[in-house]
Amino acid sequence: MNAGTRTPSDERDDDADLAPPRASGAVRALIVDDEPLLRTHLAHHLAQLWPELQIAGQARNGREAVDLVMQLQPDVVFLDVHMPGMNGVEAARLMGPDVQIVFVTAYEQYAVAAFEQGAIDYLVKPFDAERLGESVARLRRRVAERRRMSAPSPAAGGLGQVTSEAREAGAGALGQLPAGELDAVLSALAGELRRRAPAGTRLQWIRASVGQMIKLIPVDEVLYFRSDEKYTLVVWVGGEALIRKSIRELLDGLEPETFIQIHRSTIVNLRFVAQVIKGPNETAEVHLKGRTETLSVSRNHVHWFRQY
Amino acid sequence: MRPGQADLPTRSSPPGIRRSSHHGPLALGAREAARYRGDMSSSFPAATPGLDPESEAAPRSRRARFLRALTPRTIGLTLASSLLIAVALAPIFELPFTVLLGRTLFVGFITLVARSAALSWRQRVVPSWVLQSITVLLAATLATLAVYLLATGGDFSAVVQHEGRIQGFVLISGTGTIVGLMLALGAFERQRDSEAKAMSLDLALQRSRLERLAADTRLAVLTAQVEPHFLFNTLANVQALVETNSPRAPAVLRSLIAYLKATMPRLDDGDAQLGREIALVRSYLELMHLRMPDRLHFTVEGDPALQGFPCPPMLLLTLVENAVRHGIDPSETGGSIAVRSSREGGLVRLVVRDDGVGMGESAVPGTGLANLRERLAAFYGGSARLELTELEPHGLLAEILIDVPATDAPRTTA
Repeated sequence: MNAGTRTPSDERDDDADLAPPRASGAVRALIVDDEPLLRTHLAHHLAQLWPELQIAGQARNGREAVDLVMQLQPDVVFLDVHMPGMNGVEAARLMGPDVQIVFVTAYEQYAVAAFEQGAIDYLVKPFDAERLGESVARLRRRVAERRRMSAPSPAAGGLGQVTSEAREAGAGALGQLPAGELDAVLSALAGELRRRAPAGTRLQWIRASVGQMIKLIPVDEVLYFRSDEKYTLVVWVGGEALIRKSIRELLDGLEPETFIQIHRSTIVNLRFVAQVIKGPNETAEVHLKGRTETLSVSRNHVHWFRQY
Repeated sequence: MRPGQADLPTRSSPPGIRRSSHHGPLALGAREAARYRGDMSSSFPAATPGLDPESEAAPRSRRARFLRALTPRTIGLTLASSLLIAVALAPIFELPFTVLLGRTLFVGFITLVARSAALSWRQRVVPSWVLQSITVLLAATLATLAVYLLATGGDFSAVVQHEGRIQGFVLISGTGTIVGLMLALGAFERQRDSEAKAMSLDLALQRSRLERLAADTRLAVLTAQVEPHFLFNTLANVQALVETNSPRAPAVLRSLIAYLKATMPRLDDGDAQLGREIALVRSYLELMHLRMPDRLHFTVEGDPALQGFPCPPMLLLTLVENAVRHGIDPSETGGSIAVRSSREGGLVRLVVRDDGVGMGESAVPGTGLANLRERLAAFYGGSARLELTELEPHGLLAEILIDVPATDAPRTTA
C-alpha cells in the first residue's frame, strides 16, 4: 500500500540530513495504538529501519498519548487515528508544535484525504516496510533540521526547545501548512470523526422501566406517547410503560417526519396510523394498525391530516 | 425521491464514503441497512404530500384557492339556478323577463364570487360552513340591493318607499339566499367526502411505500459487505503475526476465513442453524480479542442440544457486533461479552450480555439491529422477539426469545 506520491515541498536536499542527534541524545519516539500487536509490529519494523531510534514509550489511547508526550518529550509520535476515548486527531491537537507526528490509520478515504490536504504524514495499515521506510527517511530529515535550527540556549537547552526562527521556518512540526491552517484541517477531521461515531442526535431508544428492569425500546416500535401531568405512557408493539420524559422533550428528540404531535398530550408514530376519521368541530380520530384504541386529534393539530 | 437519494446530513455519509467506526465490522451490511433507514425516514415527507406540514401550511396561493371554487360545475349551477329563479318569479313581477333574468344572474354570480372568496380565506375562528352561510346570505342580500339601486339610479328612498320594489327585493334576495345556501352546503358535504377519501388513499399509498422500503432494507442485508476498516485492521494484525512467525497465525487466519465466508452475501439461508451461528460468533470474538486482548474478554456457551436449531444467518453476530461497537470499543478499559444459548421448556433463549459502556438513547442502531426484528419476523413468523435491557452498573443485555412448541423435541445435528 504505497502512498509515496506525496513529497513535502520544503524538504531540502540531504546536506546534513542524517547528521547524528545532537548532544541531547538519541531521537525518541512514542507509539500510540489501542491494538498491542500493532504497536509491537511497528516497533519491530522501526528497530530495523531506524536502529538509532529509541522507543521511549507506548500508549493505548489519546489520553495516555498526550500524557506521555508531556512527560517524555519525544521527537516523533506514531499515532493511530481510531482509539477509544480521545482519538488520535484530537490528541494530536494537544501535543503542541514541537513533535513530529505520523498518523496511522486503516484505510479510510476521508482521513487519507484530510492528511493529503494538510500535507500531514500518514501510514495506512497494513503498511509495508518500503512505505514505512519513506516515512522514516522523511522523519530523519525533519528531526535533524529541527535540531540544527534550535538554538543551543545555555539556560534551557534541550529537547522540545525551538527558537521562533525555527517555528517560522518549520511552520509547525506536523507538516508544511502554517500552524493555523493545519489546526483547521485537524479540527475538521476531528469533527468528521466525531460525526461518524455511533451516536446520533435523534432518539433511537426509549429507556423505560418495566418491573425491576430498564428496557430499551426502539422508537421504530413505538405506536404513540401519551402524557398526563407527571408521566408519559409509551405504547409500543411489545407492551406499554411509563417514562419520565415529557411530550416536549420527546418531540425535540424524535424524527419530526415520523412522529407528530396530534394533541397537547399525544405524539403518534405515523407508521402505525391505519386511518384518520374526521370528527365534529375540526377534530379527528386516529385509528392505529392492529389496535382497538383510538387517539383524538385536537383542532390545533388536525392540520397534519388535512388535504387542502 | 428514490431511496438512496435522500440524504440526512447528520446521519448519512457523503457520497462514496463508507461510514465506519473503530473496529466495528460492517459485516452484514448492517450499516448499509442503517443508511436505508435514514433515507427511509428522511424521504418520508416527500412521499406523502398530504401529511407534509410544509405543503399543508400553504398548499397554494390565495388566488389559486379562490379560483378553485369557480369551476365550470359551480358556474353552470349558478347559471341554471338563476334561470330557474327568474322563470319561477316571472309571473309575479311586472318586469320584462330579460330584465328579471339579468337581476337574478347578477345576484347569483355575486354570491358565487363571494363564496369563493370565503373559501379562500383560511381562518379557524368560525367553522367553514357557518362562514359560507353568512357569506351567501350577505352576498345575496347586498347584490339584490345593488341591483335595485342601479335600477333607481342610486336613489335609496325610491327603493324603500316603493312597495313593489321591496317585494321584489325580498323575493330575489330570499330565493337567492335559499338556493345559494343549498348549493354551498351541498358542495361542502361533497368536499368533506372527497377529503376523507383522499386521506385514506394517501395513507394506503404511504403504507405500501413503507412496505417496499422494508423489502429494500432486507435486500441491503443480502448484498452488504464487510467494512474495509475492520478488514484492514484485522489484516494488519494477521500481518504482524505472520511476520513474527507467531504460532497463532494459522488459527487467526482460520477465524478470519470463517468470518468472511459467513458474511459474504448469499441468498440461501435454508440451512442456517444455531450451531453455525455460534461458531461464527466465536470466530468473530477471537478476531476481536486478538486485536484488543487487554480490553475484550468473552465467553461463548452454546447448548449442544440446540446445535441444529434453525436460526437466520448473522442473527447472533449482529448482537455481538453491536456489543463490541457500542459497549466495548468506546471504552478505554473495555469489558467482557458473554454469549449463551439455552432452552427452557417452550422457550429458546439466545443471550448476548456485555458490561461495556452501554448504549445511549441516541445510539444509532447501526449494526443491523434496526432490521434484526424484521429478520426475526421473517424467519420465525412472530414467535420470536428481541429484548434489550440495561444492566447495572453499566452494560447491555440483548435477548432473543423464541417460543417453540413444548412437545417439539429439540433437533440435533448428526
